[in-house]
Amino acid sequence: MSAAVHAHPQSGPVLGVAGPAKNKRVLSEAGDRGRWWRFTAILLITAIVLVPIMVTVVLAFTPGPNSTAKGLTFENLANVFSGTLAATWLQNSLITTLSTVVVSVAVAAPAGYVLSRGRSKAVSGYSLLLFVMQSLPIITSVVPLFILFAGMGLVDNLLGITIIYVGSTMTVATWMMAAYFDSIPISLEEASWIDGCSVFGSFTKVVLRNSLPGILSTAIFAFLLAWNDYLVAIVFLRSNEIFTLPMGVQSFFQQNATDWTSVMALAVVMMLPPIIVFATLNKYFSVGGIGGSLAGR
Amino acid sequence: MSSTTASSGLARARRGLAPGGARGGSPKPGNLNRKSKLRAQTSRTFFWLLLPSVILLVLIHGYPLIEAGVQATHDGNLLQTGKFVGGENFAAVLSSPAFWKAAQFTLMFTIVGVFGSWLVGLGLALLLRTRIPAGGTFKVLLLLPWVVPIVVSSTAWNWLVATPDSLIPSLFRNFGLGTPLFLADPNLAAVTVMIFKVWVSFPFMMMMISAALASVDTTVYEAASMDGATRWQQFSQITLPLIARSTYISWILMTIFCVNDFPTIYLLTGGGPVNATTSLVVLAYRTVFQDFATGPGVAIAFLMTMTLVVISVLLYRQIRKSSVE
Repeated sequence: MSAAVHAHPQSGPVLGVAGPAKNKRVLSEAGDRGRWWRFTAILLITAIVLVPIMVTVVLAFTPGPNSTAKGLTFENLANVFSGTLAATWLQNSLITTLSTVVVSVAVAAPAGYVLSRGRSKAVSGYSLLLFVMQSLPIITSVVPLFILFAGMGLVDNLLGITIIYVGSTMTVATWMMAAYFDSIPISLEEASWIDGCSVFGSFTKVVLRNSLPGILSTAIFAFLLAWNDYLVAIVFLRSNEIFTLPMGVQSFFQQNATDWTSVMALAVVMMLPPIIVFATLNKYFSVGGIGGSLAGR
Repeated sequence: MSSTTASSGLARARRGLAPGGARGGSPKPGNLNRKSKLRAQTSRTFFWLLLPSVILLVLIHGYPLIEAGVQATHDGNLLQTGKFVGGENFAAVLSSPAFWKAAQFTLMFTIVGVFGSWLVGLGLALLLRTRIPAGGTFKVLLLLPWVVPIVVSSTAWNWLVATPDSLIPSLFRNFGLGTPLFLADPNLAAVTVMIFKVWVSFPFMMMMISAALASVDTTVYEAASMDGATRWQQFSQITLPLIARSTYISWILMTIFCVNDFPTIYLLTGGGPVNATTSLVVLAYRTVFQDFATGPGVAIAFLMTMTLVVISVLLYRQIRKSSVE
């Protein structure tokens, strides 16, 4: 697979400054063939990897066993929305997830700023604490929180799970924001201080204003985590009309395990929002959550 | 910088932030000795910026952790704490074969999950680094298993493998390879769950490694091949060392993801058949919420937690050390 890999860099220094443009022409036929081999290989691999996802989509639009429709149909989607609480579940998921994203960023951005700029022992201690907490199994917190929340009426309640989502995304989100703030030169803030700006003012007006990519990637992370969560939902949500989509899909699947076309239609409803978010904001989704922030810091 | 304008600005900020003139964030005495007031004011602002995060950390992580310690030493249930029983729950857990079986499965699941997804991710990252038509599109498509919710992908995998008449077992049958019962045979179910985990996780590894490879200067390879280095030598002596730090971090994180994983396992097999795919988290969940034995269940979670605290503190130090270098 590799003639091209090596042909390209080898010709580089000889050609000097004019490099890249000419290199393409220099590429030998063997190199081109290598490219198409690799193309075929990656095409096959991608096709195999995506089988489960393609199956989901195809079944969702295939006419069900009792249907008279031919070809692809939106019947299953319509049936799912009319026959189940899908609309409610979708709404519940959107409410909890969007609240989680907003609150999580609002908490993590200031904290991340302190982590990035602070140089005291307390700050680095807090950074370690966040790292340790994010690595702990959420099942440990779930039982005590269940008992605590039961006393406060927060079990089977969207506010209850939102609080837990914010708490559990906040650790990594803070790290991600801190990693992003590290890349903003402190000289910008210093200039604003000279102009009479307060520390808080320069954080909001100078730092935050230049941090949209960092904020977006943190938001994507929080979105995926809250949208996809199952463990917290299965413990805390009890009634059908309070379910979020993961619980809705799962309960519907367990009750109608043979009605695959409907199950998959509901599954498509659930996977669409993260795919849309991902497709539109892909360039901010550079290295996926904490990995990038750890690698960056 | 002019400290008078800076501190008057800070005073404004303080008024805005803390109308009650709260003392909570009063600076440490040491800071007052410095000539710049900015530092004292900075630490006050920092206190307020950090406060929401600290409150949440205490509520969602700190309090439950301590409370879990209490529950693990009591014979209570989900409604009341119960009597203090000391280390009885821990003794019961540590002497139960189910616990050790789950620990063993968790270990295997983690090893396969970490290295399996790393190998696949590495291979794809290396392939995608070369010039391929529509390479960017493939990169995005290959991230989908990581983006699609587990609830959805486990449903799809169920459709593919669950019954003898599902697609994959039928394919095996057509090729004369028998009819494997991917989720009904204990050993095969364990393997299937691990493959599922690799399928879900490799995009993460691919992203990590791709990011590291992107920063590698390709002229290094020109020099190496001019010196007659073989492709394997180039890989093992140039590429691997250059992605070592990312690799290391991704192993750490994937270890944590695998040990703590619940949905990947629970949604595909429910921990069965015959507990063959019961991990420690699944066992803890079932013990608490299906057997209603809160004490022992929390004790299992607590043992995992303590192990992970030790591991993550050690790893954190290691990462910090390597990033200083």
